[in-house]
Amino acid sequence: MNVSPAASPPSDHSAARRVFTWVRAQTADWLRTEGERWIYVVRAMLAAFSALWLAFRLGLDAPYTALATTIVLALPSSGMVLEKALHRFLGTLVGCAAALTLVALFPQAPIVLFLGLALWVALCTGGAAMHRNQQSYSFVLAGYTAVMIAVPAVDAPSGVFMLAVTRVTEVGLGILCSAVVHDVIFPRRHSRAVMRTVQARYTGFIGFCRQVLEHRITPADAELNHLKFAADIAALESGRAAAFFEAGHSRSQTRQLHAFNAAFMTALTTFYTLHRLSHRMRAAGEGPVLALVEPMFAHMAQALGEELTPTRLAQMRGALASDIAAARTQLAAGPALERALHIDFDTAVELLQRFAGNLADFAALYHGLAQQKRQQVSDPGAYSPKTPPAIIAASGFRAALTLLVTAAMWYWLAWPATVNAILMATIFCALASSSPRPTVLVQQVLIGFLLAMPLAFATEFLMVAKADSFWPMMLAALPLFSFAAYLCSGPRWAGVGIGMGMFSATLVVPANMMRYDVESFVSSELSLTMGVVVAYLMFKVVLPEHTMGHRGHVAAALWREAQNACSARLYRLKRHFDNRVRDLLSQLNAAAGPAPNAETRAVVRQGLTLLELGHAIIELRQLIAASHAGAARDSLDVVLCELAAYLHAPSRTTGETALHAILQAGTAVRAALSAALPVARHDASHDVQAERRARLHTALTDLHSIYTSLLDQLSTGEPHVSPSAA
Amino acid sequence: MFPHLPREIDFFGVLLPGVLPVFLLSGLLQLALDAVLSHVGAYRNSWHPALVRLCMFVCIFSALLVTLYQ
Repeated sequence: MNVSPAASPPSDHSAARRVFTWVRAQTADWLRTEGERWIYVVRAMLAAFSALWLAFRLGLDAPYTALATTIVLALPSSGMVLEKALHRFLGTLVGCAAALTLVALFPQAPIVLFLGLALWVALCTGGAAMHRNQQSYSFVLAGYTAVMIAVPAVDAPSGVFMLAVTRVTEVGLGILCSAVVHDVIFPRRHSRAVMRTVQARYTGFIGFCRQVLEHRITPADAELNHLKFAADIAALESGRAAAFFEAGHSRSQTRQLHAFNAAFMTALTTFYTLHRLSHRMRAAGEGPVLALVEPMFAHMAQALGEELTPTRLAQMRGALASDIAAARTQLAAGPALERALHIDFDTAVELLQRFAGNLADFAALYHGLAQQKRQQVSDPGAYSPKTPPAIIAASGFRAALTLLVTAAMWYWLAWPATVNAILMATIFCALASSSPRPTVLVQQVLIGFLLAMPLAFATEFLMVAKADSFWPMMLAALPLFSFAAYLCSGPRWAGVGIGMGMFSATLVVPANMMRYDVESFVSSELSLTMGVVVAYLMFKVVLPEHTMGHRGHVAAALWREAQNACSARLYRLKRHFDNRVRDLLSQLNAAAGPAPNAETRAVVRQGLTLLELGHAIIELRQLIAASHAGAARDSLDVVLCELAAYLHAPSRTTGETALHAILQAGTAVRAALSAALPVARHDASHDVQAERRARLHTALTDLHSIYTSLLDQLSTGEPHVSPSAA
Repeated sequence: MFPHLPREIDFFGVLLPGVLPVFLLSGLLQLALDAVLSHVGAYRNSWHPALVRLCMFVCIFSALLVTLYQ
């Protein structure tokens, strides 16, 4: 028989066995996809009804708050639930404290109280826009909890303290139930997801590097890749923050992940500069330098094809060094090169060496994480996000205005249920402010509300009304809540699910003393929906362009970051600069969706150029700070001044002045370099000289990358988004 | 051990249960223990780390209650 064993299964497999394997495969498939969702629904329901049962059992005043908390906290993985739980609790505490303070200050003056509340909500929503993920949520919560407590207190200020205490208790109860259920019962651990992200990032980056080194990628695709990497960096950071709360996630892992992200950013920036240089050289046509550098690229691409163990990496760096030495001797033997070409060669070599070093760091961190080795890594500091200030101010203003508009509606309509509208409008205005497409989110929630309206009515009056104790009540309410939770678990209908869940949690659950009153039920339904409609309209009408990741604002903020690189304090500046620029790009990515248009790509290109420029500027500043006074240092100072002037007012004249200054500085540094010729003796002065030479070489590379990126910037003639435009 | 521990705490007119401080205290103890255990990597060998963590909390809380409220 010449058939391979894989092609013909052994004949002892009977039909029953085949059916069994088929069923098993199908079940495993179901468990991975739909099964995950149903397990999530089971967890969410368990958390919801255990919290509700406890709230009834303890005789708390507003059991639905505990239920709503569990519904808000129902997230796919246990780390995310725990993180959100902590932030929800903090936000609630702060919000209650703010409400108590405001009511105590202005008990008899509703107008002043509302103005104060509007200011508080504006501050909180602005704060939410400045932060990411659950930190942002805790700001949102601090804002609307204050509204929740203070608005009912307008009519009865004396009850405000009880309201606040009840709120904290119920939220605390909901949080405890959610945390225990989601963490213990069939948990989905977020650390695993983080490790998968790390792995995907590593292979993705190595693959990208190979593609670029082998010239198999177009510049447009490379830009898109950089945009996706920026989004990955932000995603890994938020994943790390969630995994932090899970059992067994130690501090050293947090440090390692921080270091991994930082090493990735460094490698990515160096690689981008290298890519640009090779692209420019290729665009200039065949030349002697290209012929020298291409084999190095090819060798490196080949080395990247194999697994990057430390020994492999050392080999790669050794091969690179010998390549470089060979190229240098070839260069010395051949005819003398033009000065510009020589500079190109030096820069390419320096960048390749730098990239090899960055890659080695990155790979070491990756292997440390993948093999769960405990490494002593110095923490490069937390990720620092950046939101354009105009967007922060706009979200604060919009939230405050929404509160005031709904409060005015409450007064003029004289419809008591408008309180619900105030709450809903404030909640969704604040929540959606941190989303790149707020109207889509609010629209989904609105659809959820509209769907829930008849369902909640039917559940309440046809089923819950017939229940005479907790268990029948639970059975009656279960279908509606599970449906909402099921919708939440898929990415497509998540917003609708959240809307349905919130709506049903507010209305369906009986109070301790239940009154089944159709009129007030319908009135609440209408007012809740009206609140969401108001939030939607506010996003459509008030500053509709000022949303997270809007192109113009991001572009302006990128320019400001580059200016900042020229003038801010040097301490950890490089890392902050890296973080902020990448954060801005990831906002852009979130807002642009899967297929960014040409304008967005232009902003990305601009951002990457500014990133390159800013990096070189920061390095120059570090060199200046470390070096002694002299002609070279003075000329570098001039370059910095001119660059700062260019970044403040990007125009052809300032750009050309800067280019001129760079050429001057290049000459000065070269003169200093030839003055600091290597001495043969091996003593202290030799080391000092060698260090000085290395610094001067770095300065030359930086000057060169600034020069070429500035030249690109001026020659392409792209419409610059000047910092004053926004 | 401490027979005079209050069953309820008067907090600006709201009566809070006396076990609340004990609960918070055991939460703090649990956090410290958790940090130590994850530092030594003790969770790596457990089947269900989250359950271990919850059980530790229950043990700490009950031990405190049993010793303090006799």
